[in-house]
Amino acid sequence: MNVKKLLNNRSFKNAFASIFAILFGLLIGYIILLISNPAQATRGFIIILNGGFNGGLRGVGNMLHNAMPIILTGLSVGFAFKTGLFNIGASGQFILGAFAAIYIGVKWTFIPVGYLWVVALIGAMLAGAIWGAIVGVLKAFRNVNEVITSIMLNYIGMYLVNFLVVSTVFDLTRNQSLSPRNAYLPRGGLNVLFPLSSANIGIIIAIVTAVVMYIILEKTTFGFELKAVGYNREASRYAGINEKKSIILSMMIAGALAGLGGGLLYLSDIGKHIEVVDILATEGFNGIPVALLGLSNPIGIIFSGLFVGHMNMGGFYIQRLRFVPEVIDMMISIIIYFSALSLAFKSFIESLSRKMGGRTK
Amino acid sequence: MEYVIEMLNITKEFPGIIANDDITLQVQKGEIHALLGENGAGKSTLMSVLFGLYIPEKGTIKVKGKEVKIHNPNDANELGIGMVHQHFKLVHNFSVLENIVLGVETVKGGILRMEDARAKIVNLSKQYNLRIEPDSIIEDISVGMQQRVEILKMLYRDNDILIFDEPTAVLTPQEIDELMKIMRRLIEEGKSIIFITHKLNEIKAVADRVSVLRKGKYIGTVDVANTSKEEMSEMMVGRKVIFEIEKGKAKIGENVLTIRNLSINSKVHGKSAVNNVSFDLRKGEILCVAGIEGNGQTELIYALTGLLPVDGGDIYYKGEDITHKSIRYRNSHGISHIPEDRHKHGLVLDYTLSENLVLQTYFLNKFQNKGFINFKSRLKNAKAMIEQFDIRSGEGPITLARSMSGGNQQKAIVAREFEKDPDVIIAVQPTRGLDVGAIEYIHTQLIKQRDMGRAVLLVSLELSEVLGISDRIIVMYEGEIVGAVNPSEVTQQELGLYMSGSKRGAGYERKEITK
Amino acid sequence: MTLNTFYFLVQQTMFYSIPLLIVAIGGMYSERSGVVNIALEGIMVIGAFVSLYFMNQMQSTMSGQSLLILSMLVAAVTGMFLSLFHAYASINMKANQVISGTALNLFAPAFAIFTARMLIGVQQVTFNNTYRIPLVPFLSDIPVLGDLFFKNTYITTFVGFGILIIATFVLYKTRFGLRLRACGEHPQAADAAGVNVKKMRYIGVLISGALAGLGGLVLMVPVTTAFDGQVGGYGFLALAVLIFGQWRPGRILFAAFFFGLMKTISAAYTGIPILLALGIPSYMFKMIPYLATIIILTFTSKKSAAPRAAGEPYDAGKR
Repeated sequence: MNVKKLLNNRSFKNAFASIFAILFGLLIGYIILLISNPAQATRGFIIILNGGFNGGLRGVGNMLHNAMPIILTGLSVGFAFKTGLFNIGASGQFILGAFAAIYIGVKWTFIPVGYLWVVALIGAMLAGAIWGAIVGVLKAFRNVNEVITSIMLNYIGMYLVNFLVVSTVFDLTRNQSLSPRNAYLPRGGLNVLFPLSSANIGIIIAIVTAVVMYIILEKTTFGFELKAVGYNREASRYAGINEKKSIILSMMIAGALAGLGGGLLYLSDIGKHIEVVDILATEGFNGIPVALLGLSNPIGIIFSGLFVGHMNMGGFYIQRLRFVPEVIDMMISIIIYFSALSLAFKSFIESLSRKMGGRTK
Repeated sequence: MEYVIEMLNITKEFPGIIANDDITLQVQKGEIHALLGENGAGKSTLMSVLFGLYIPEKGTIKVKGKEVKIHNPNDANELGIGMVHQHFKLVHNFSVLENIVLGVETVKGGILRMEDARAKIVNLSKQYNLRIEPDSIIEDISVGMQQRVEILKMLYRDNDILIFDEPTAVLTPQEIDELMKIMRRLIEEGKSIIFITHKLNEIKAVADRVSVLRKGKYIGTVDVANTSKEEMSEMMVGRKVIFEIEKGKAKIGENVLTIRNLSINSKVHGKSAVNNVSFDLRKGEILCVAGIEGNGQTELIYALTGLLPVDGGDIYYKGEDITHKSIRYRNSHGISHIPEDRHKHGLVLDYTLSENLVLQTYFLNKFQNKGFINFKSRLKNAKAMIEQFDIRSGEGPITLARSMSGGNQQKAIVAREFEKDPDVIIAVQPTRGLDVGAIEYIHTQLIKQRDMGRAVLLVSLELSEVLGISDRIIVMYEGEIVGAVNPSEVTQQELGLYMSGSKRGAGYERKEITK
Repeated sequence: MTLNTFYFLVQQTMFYSIPLLIVAIGGMYSERSGVVNIALEGIMVIGAFVSLYFMNQMQSTMSGQSLLILSMLVAAVTGMFLSLFHAYASINMKANQVISGTALNLFAPAFAIFTARMLIGVQQVTFNNTYRIPLVPFLSDIPVLGDLFFKNTYITTFVGFGILIIATFVLYKTRFGLRLRACGEHPQAADAAGVNVKKMRYIGVLISGALAGLGGLVLMVPVTTAFDGQVGGYGFLALAVLIFGQWRPGRILFAAFFFGLMKTISAAYTGIPILLALGIPSYMFKMIPYLATIIILTFTSKKSAAPRAAGEPYDAGKR
């Protein structure tokens, strides 16, 4: 492929825009560090760039663990995007999935230990799917703006889960959920690869899920229908596709993905519990940048999830230099802002390819 | 001779296309100057340049002999240039008054002073005989009145160079006559007019001179009085055009679609969009539904194709009641639909050509296996259809529909709809926005389908099309059928009377309201 | 219910309704101009953070209404500044407005926490509440109305009503309002009529930024003395108020009071004996405003009066 052809290639243009946005975000992040503490800024910036690698193999394992839930919430947001819906409600779906997994893990002792985590994950997906379905049903039948519904459901989900935790699986002394000891995820050999890290089979499940989503979207007639509805709801209806069903199914799948993310994180044997506080699950919101950077492509989302996980680890390690880890969130939001401007980047590339002596059309 | 407008050597490029290539247009004071060209010839681009919506790469513009730069509609307005756009630029939920004053409001300390404006508008409407209701909301008034509002907008701004962009497309023959009168009246009052059209009759009727564009290039300017229609059309298209559509007699077969007492309530107003409509469609005929836009044709078609639920009456297809069948049932059982709006309904613009060609058939066994797409057969299907229907695109089957020309997009839809081996073809304004070549193609194809024994239901606003290719015409007015006529026995004028509701055919008398 | 409980309820409702009213009116300016501003939440956070930090720094030398008014100005200017980024992305770059807004929503709390910890070492910005007006002279003596609106109140309440009245007037009676509405409904028509669509949209978004920033401060002052970088979904609730209010000032007022009441019930039910007696878990009360939003929208969304062009970038070349 020669350069001109490459510049005209659609996916290249999109990927280029993402990389451009990332570079801008990093640059501005560096400036923020410079302003807040000029003496340590460069060191801090290098730590951020090194991300998970700061902690050797253990750090890499932790980075994978950090990426696992946001790959799934990223898939959730991205899958909905492909169907033309903005699922800002991954947070609520995530925490409901987490609760369902913990509840099953703690209470359903009649299931043998080796299988309990599987059942718990299925429960997590169902809980998330139900939460997503509410958004889909209201959108399809009542034309309710899905952004508003899913944000409201985030809050409702948070309070509901707090209530459910307190009344079913509550550890009174710690003000948090009980530990689902019988349903902890297997390590899957990752503890050998990345000693002392939190990594477990969850990251593998996340990656496999992404591949499955890719196949559904790109290789099946079901995916063909969903994307058609996403691109043009009216034309899909004209073609005989049941667009209401597609919207509901898409939101259910998106919800199930976020719910699975919640299940995986809270079934990890790392002392993570649902705390009974009025704070939304941030993993849900972090799915948005992951999906956007991954261009809603499931395979792209694996990489963007790893990237954001990597950055988050950087945020963890810069605390050594007394920097505040929120600088990472700022950088990621700046990256998102620039990727929203991607049209400018794309037209820049188009003008570049025109200058190289060829019309795009 | 004094020119009010001189556009000299204008060049305007868009990515990948030169819309105006070295075009010159000179308009004399007090004339009606027609600008003739096919869809896509560059007429609208040229006028947008004059109106300040586009900035040309090359060329100069002189207004009343002075060279000027027009950067936005405000500049144009200050030079006295006004424009009635093809798609009216009216805010749907504003009143007539508000629409007219928008942009040139009379204010005192920022606060609107509508009464002064009202007086001026009422005066103007009397002076030029432009009947309007100042306080009506735009979405409640007729298309004809909306156009008068657009004309008043120009007069209110004291414009004396008036551009009319395809103003007759949405009007009845009677309304067109009235518009021509208004245009002449404007000339008498000292205005100059640029009249954009592709209809030769109208140029003959009203214009003094005509400039012709073809494929972005300037072809020439001639006096209308000394030039025949044939000569003009040859300038426009670049070859001889056959006006008569060749078609043999229809061999009419059995009924395939029977509509009885069909009624649909309107989503917009309290009345019925379609009111008690009954007709039959038979094999081997082209039945045309004529009427002014917005008289229930869209809703009727939506009901037949399943896009809109029916509130009363029945639809029978080959004897079977399909009134409540799904869209997919209908489009997979031999009812094809070439939709009115190819971007809204016809195509998924972000899908490739090959994907669009299987938009209604992707689930058939030949295109999938256990839910997995059969990419090979999809590609083969696309290649065959591209070949057969001569669909041209940059990259063949993998071209995005968005990047194809309007004519080829329409060809793709036609290919998809004809390939299904349908018994009924519903075609809604199938030639809208296409150039002469593509129009001829679509017409020939529709007649070919008819001759193959298929039933064609054509909805068209273009009277020459209605009269040219249909075998039978029914006219809709305010949701009702007001007459059925034979195209060989009816004139455009008579059809216009039906379309405006001033005439009703035998058997279609207004029903007495009985309580 | 005693009369005093009723007065208490109304006074509390004010504290929640007024910020919703202000921010929803802000959203109205933006959407009426044709730009969807989902960043209201983030702008509230930034407005509240910067103005409360300003208050925190100034309160050793100033106090009372003059400091509050100055802080309100700071909040509005800050909000306007942040909204500039949304305006640039939406108007100049024709970016996806929801994504641009989301970016600002992610940025704002991170910025607030980062800056607070860098500047004062802790996440929370504290301030002394010296702004409560126990009695408005003379007006508080009016029977009933005096108890409802002129006792135990804040200057912000009156600012809120002022903003509403001005908005109603501006939208329907001025040249600016006519042009703004035209840009939100049919920008091509506005452009052809000589209205500068970009300029109108910029003004719309900037006003929404100023009002959202102000709303962030107005929300915080009566109900807390420590700000920790979040406004609890209030910006999104304001969007729901805007939708429920059908983009019209009068109905927005009604919607804001409805949601304010819901929020009051959820926050102050312990002070309302009847509700307390029901024995419903506190979590349920907390859900009420959000549940009410969904239920209301379920029954009102089918017929939407949203400005037709809201959310669509305006491209002068497209006709």
